[in-house]
Amino acid sequence: MADFGPVTCAGCGLLCDDVTVEMSSDGVRARPECPLAAQWFAVRMHPPDGAAATINGDAADVESALARAAELLRGARRPLVHGFEGATVEDARAAVALADRLGALVATGQLEGPWPGAPAVPLRGACTGTLGEIRDRSRVVVIWREDPETTHPRLLERLGLDDVPGRTLVVVDDRGTATAQRADLGLSWPRERDLEALTSLHVLQRGLAVRPSELAAELRRLIERLRAVPHAAFVYGPGLTAGAGAQRRVLALHELVRALCHERHVVTLELPRAPGIRGADDVLAWQTGYGGAVDLAGGHPELVTATQPLDDVDLRLLVEPGQTAAAEIALGGPAAGPDVNVWIRTAAPGVAASGTAHRLDGVPLALQAPRPDVAPTAAVLLTRLLQEVER
Amino acid sequence: MTEIRISGGAVHDPASDVDGDIRDVCLRDGKVVDDVGPEARRIDARGMVVMAGGVDIHAHIAGPKVNAARKLSPEDRRDEPHDRTEVLRSGTGGLVPSTFATGYRYSLLGYTTVIEAAAPPLAARHVLSELRDTPMIDKAFLILMGNNQVLFELIRESGGGVSPPLRDAVAWWLEATGGYGVKLVNPGGVELWKQNNGQITSLDDEIAGFGVTPRQVLEAVGGAVHELGLPHPVHIHANNLGVPGNADTTLDTMRTLAGRQAHFAHVQFHSYGGKPGGLPRSRAPELLEFLSAHPEITVDVGQVMFGPAMTMTADAHVSAVLRDLDGGKWLNHDTEVETGCGIVPYTYKAGNYVHALQWGIGLELFLLGQDPWQVMLSTDHPNGGSFLSYPKLIRLLMDRSFRDDQMRRANQRAIRRTALLDGLDREYSLNEIAIITRAAPARRLGLRDKGHLGIGADADVTIYHDRADREEMFATPRYVVKGGEVAVEEGDLRRSDDGLLLSSRAAFDPEVSSVLEPRFGDRYTVAFEHYPVWDPALREPARIVEAGRS
Repeated sequence: MADFGPVTCAGCGLLCDDVTVEMSSDGVRARPECPLAAQWFAVRMHPPDGAAATINGDAADVESALARAAELLRGARRPLVHGFEGATVEDARAAVALADRLGALVATGQLEGPWPGAPAVPLRGACTGTLGEIRDRSRVVVIWREDPETTHPRLLERLGLDDVPGRTLVVVDDRGTATAQRADLGLSWPRERDLEALTSLHVLQRGLAVRPSELAAELRRLIERLRAVPHAAFVYGPGLTAGAGAQRRVLALHELVRALCHERHVVTLELPRAPGIRGADDVLAWQTGYGGAVDLAGGHPELVTATQPLDDVDLRLLVEPGQTAAAEIALGGPAAGPDVNVWIRTAAPGVAASGTAHRLDGVPLALQAPRPDVAPTAAVLLTRLLQEVER
Repeated sequence: MTEIRISGGAVHDPASDVDGDIRDVCLRDGKVVDDVGPEARRIDARGMVVMAGGVDIHAHIAGPKVNAARKLSPEDRRDEPHDRTEVLRSGTGGLVPSTFATGYRYSLLGYTTVIEAAAPPLAARHVLSELRDTPMIDKAFLILMGNNQVLFELIRESGGGVSPPLRDAVAWWLEATGGYGVKLVNPGGVELWKQNNGQITSLDDEIAGFGVTPRQVLEAVGGAVHELGLPHPVHIHANNLGVPGNADTTLDTMRTLAGRQAHFAHVQFHSYGGKPGGLPRSRAPELLEFLSAHPEITVDVGQVMFGPAMTMTADAHVSAVLRDLDGGKWLNHDTEVETGCGIVPYTYKAGNYVHALQWGIGLELFLLGQDPWQVMLSTDHPNGGSFLSYPKLIRLLMDRSFRDDQMRRANQRAIRRTALLDGLDREYSLNEIAIITRAAPARRLGLRDKGHLGIGADADVTIYHDRADREEMFATPRYVVKGGEVAVEEGDLRRSDDGLLLSSRAAFDPEVSSVLEPRFGDRYTVAFEHYPVWDPALREPARIVEAGRS
């Protein structure tokens, strides 16, 4: 097969759009080198053989699967539309439109697991920037408890930390990650002390003293680095935003950055847990007014907090949930999994279908279709389902 | 296609010199025609006022900053949600409604065309996606070019003037994004803010690192827009917004562009006397005097309305000032190469000296202005207040007793420093309202088919009950016809309509790509070949206005 590119890779939230894919008998290779890109293209270039759709595990044609899916959706009392990890903006637009008609619950975030608290940004705001802003201006980049060398392998390169002299990479982590090994300054304390560290940094930033300790010494080293430059950036992600107490940790980070901004320019960059989430959440916000999770059961959008029970959900519509799995939509019972009622293979965005994705910094990018597929996109299927449901 | 005869209404169509004449307006195939057949639907408009659909020349309704404001203020969305119906999507309201609610509420207000006034070109794909989800209205967006590093380079290389590559680059950017016009926000100042929280104080300050000045940016980009013959002239948010004494900067900017067509946005925020750091005073009369001698320059007011607002601007430095004043929520976003963004929820209080002065200056601009074709209605939605406050603003202009009553509630020290207490008894006529809300904006935008009811105009028509309470009248049109179909009747939306994307196009030398591509590679983190948005699903249905034909 011939090589192709440059195309946009949606293997992670960076959406690198300079990727050339080389195909050979040895496998798929991405240039510039990136293990995630190679894996992402390899999986999507070779979707599993088999049925285009299934109903209760049995092979079916797409039309029959759509008819069954529409029937299930019409009968659902409390449908949930979620997933979106590999979705395009077009997929999300169609999904929220369908959810609106169904009066469904829609979630771009994770509804299960420890309650992280409501999003922190609506409480006080944030200061953010695109990749190019950080690359061209930030003299200190602090990566807080993330390992982009694994999750976003080209992040450091794209932030200019590979080749721009005079830049300092600070990594806060106690795990000895691949990213931490590249740090100019490594700082280490247990995750449980992150909130204390962030609030203490705020105190130090104001020129006040904190109680002497090992942690305080580490923090002074960081604040001195930050104070020495006119422009800095913090990179964070699920290491701060996931799990109990996340709201307070993220709020503390943004308050610190806000305080630092009085004397210098400081921005933040959030690494999402999956590449499709940023775009889907943007769509949810513009179509309903809210990001995160939205309940449309009352006839209009209402913001959902995780304190609301979800045990009444009787049907799940999963939209482009995976990065390594084949592209798909699926309908299933409350515990969506192997016993999916309806499954339909979709044309993989970025390989078999074009579309739009929002990069982790919000920049919208086109996804190309170097290997078009006859399979429909999730957006097409969801729009068909809307038409069926409206009949 | 439906045929409609709007019969017996008092028609206010100032672009056609029609001032309240009782006459029929006939619509067919989406256009105003001279007559329709006997089978046409007849709308009995006797006792009613008939105008072209409203045209909002400057609002913020779509794109990353608008959406960021939605996410920043979930508590604001809870007011007046919009329930889904058989034909309409659900949505939420507040100062920054969801996209569907934005389209519906503009339509319910009698507006049929709205301009998103500040879109980062890099985010065009996002802006277009949101606009596709904003129904009922025709819409366009202006692209931000006042802090574009690539243009700075081209301006420097041209010695500060218009060069063929610069002119071609401006045309290329419009083509690549689907934009309608060119917006300059605080030229050079946003770049300095992103560098190190810096700011421009004079049009002749050098933009550090680029060897050009704001004045050169104004002259070069404004000149390029002029030479290209774009339907809408350069649209300017001048330097030093909100700073006491900024009238000097505004007048200097106007003088710089004098002799060329230009539109100045939300000029209320740029009409202040005083000294930086001190209390402002009004210099609106001086600006109006300049305008009266320069018909090539137009403005929209950016009226402040007392109550909650959502300030959002590419002029991110201003947001940092409001952050420090208010101490509340603040969002800043830096967009590489092109622009910035700041968002601060804000409340204008009648008892506050500065807010009352801003309110008074806006009214001065409306009431002291000689030519309503030059001074157009806007609140810089949602910066000065929501577009839903337009009916109240219209009442302030049309009803002196109401205005006087509102004035008494405002900070009197501030009001005394305006001309409002100097026996200013002007009351706008219906024709003047038609000028500032549709005829003048459409003409200034170069939208020849909009803002009037002459033969061949778009069949966008709003029919109001002629009520003494002008706020009620303009808040609840009896009918709104969009594209020749009844969209609103009895205050209810009757159908959904996607609306058109309005874009402009100017010829350019395709070789400009060879000028731009290496500069993109040096600066952007998006590949040059992936920057343009060509997707028909995002750019259609559209109407393209060719340069030089308006």
